[in-house]
Amino acid sequence: MRNLLNFILRYSTWFVFTFYVVVSVLLLVTNSRYQQSVYLTSANAVTGGLYDTSSKVTGYFNLHQINESLQESNAALQNEVLNLKNKIAEYEVLLADTLMPSRYSERFGYVSAAVINNNTRHPRNYFTINKGALDGVRPGMGIADQNGVVGIVNVVGDHMARAISLLNETQHFSVKIKDTSFVGSLSWKGGDASIAYMEEVPRHVEYKIGDTIVTSGFSTAFPEGIPVGFILNRVKSSDDSFFTFKIRLSSDFKSLSTVRVIRDIYKQEVDSLAEFDITK
Amino acid sequence: MGRNIIINIITTICLILVQVLICNHIMLFNIAMAFVFIYVLISLPMNLKTNYLLTWAFLAGFIVDIFSDTPGVNALACTLLAISKKPILFAYIPRDDRTKNIEPTLSSLGFGVYGKYLFTMVAIYCFLVFTIEYFNFADIKEIVVLTAASTVFTFVVLLGIDSLIVKK
Repeated sequence: MRNLLNFILRYSTWFVFTFYVVVSVLLLVTNSRYQQSVYLTSANAVTGGLYDTSSKVTGYFNLHQINESLQESNAALQNEVLNLKNKIAEYEVLLADTLMPSRYSERFGYVSAAVINNNTRHPRNYFTINKGALDGVRPGMGIADQNGVVGIVNVVGDHMARAISLLNETQHFSVKIKDTSFVGSLSWKGGDASIAYMEEVPRHVEYKIGDTIVTSGFSTAFPEGIPVGFILNRVKSSDDSFFTFKIRLSSDFKSLSTVRVIRDIYKQEVDSLAEFDITK
Repeated sequence: MGRNIIINIITTICLILVQVLICNHIMLFNIAMAFVFIYVLISLPMNLKTNYLLTWAFLAGFIVDIFSDTPGVNALACTLLAISKKPILFAYIPRDDRTKNIEPTLSSLGFGVYGKYLFTMVAIYCFLVFTIEYFNFADIKEIVVLTAASTVFTFVVLLGIDSLIVKK
């Protein structure tokens, strides 16, 4: 027994060293629920609080730019409202005796939040927002800013949440070319924060350079038609039976500030249907 | 001794805050990062027990990891750097009674030795961090570029920090 203790004491450095290395490697490789626990992410009370305080200062830095893009999207929306109003007036006669799917338009709700910490330099980027479970944010909800899709909620604390950024090599988004039904999978390949790739597009696709890419609406995270970016060009694909497009993203990930978390009231229902299908 | 420990703890906390609030968001020319929080690990006195040094390194790396959502990356790199600290320093200066308790700083070692020691430590750390984070041989070119640029940037910043922190 004494020999064992002596042995441990003499080589204690190596035991301590091995212990720390094993702990770090476990943190690195396992995708356990411990790793997904809120205490180990930037959404916990201490780090979240600190980022919240610091973002109150740094949040002012990009206001001018953000204001400009808000003005633009506001103008576009006003334009659309006018157009729709005219359309409605045209169809007023028809509307009176048509059965409307009135609840459909309320399917998606929004929670407005501020980005308090954001990264673009890692292969797997995350950002932190200042709304959490108490504000109705849940894992799996989509996040968009005034320009388009930015990420998906991942870990939720009471007052903060951490989201997987679109700039994360492990996350794929279901997207399509606007006004068509050509669907593909959007993923980021590292490096430039404004370039992503749309993969697995069928070869018979009809497209033009500059076509807008929007969300497909196949997942419960995003409604159909939220902008993602536009086609720069077609690049060599790893699989000959599909096309791959290079996409310029419409959101500026280096200056994320105010975002909307998208809540789908049918989420539970749709997810449970999908699960039912898998287990059968 | 007690006073030194408190000073070192305060420096560690300050540098970790600088790291997560400022340096993590700066990327010079899109390739160069500065890792300022490893300064304490580099400058801790050589007579500190290796067990304490390892614990210090692991905890500092772990806290930075939580802030930047990179679980394990900095913790592992810091632990590996801590274990190689002694061999690296004593590769540049002979180990004798005068040097075995030394605090490796610019004023105690002189620019020649300190420069070599600091550069080696920073280069190893940067290489470890980017290798662990990418962990893919397909990205080897990116890892080399990031390591080279970040080593130079961090080296310059740490020299600056060393001259800012006045040692009595």
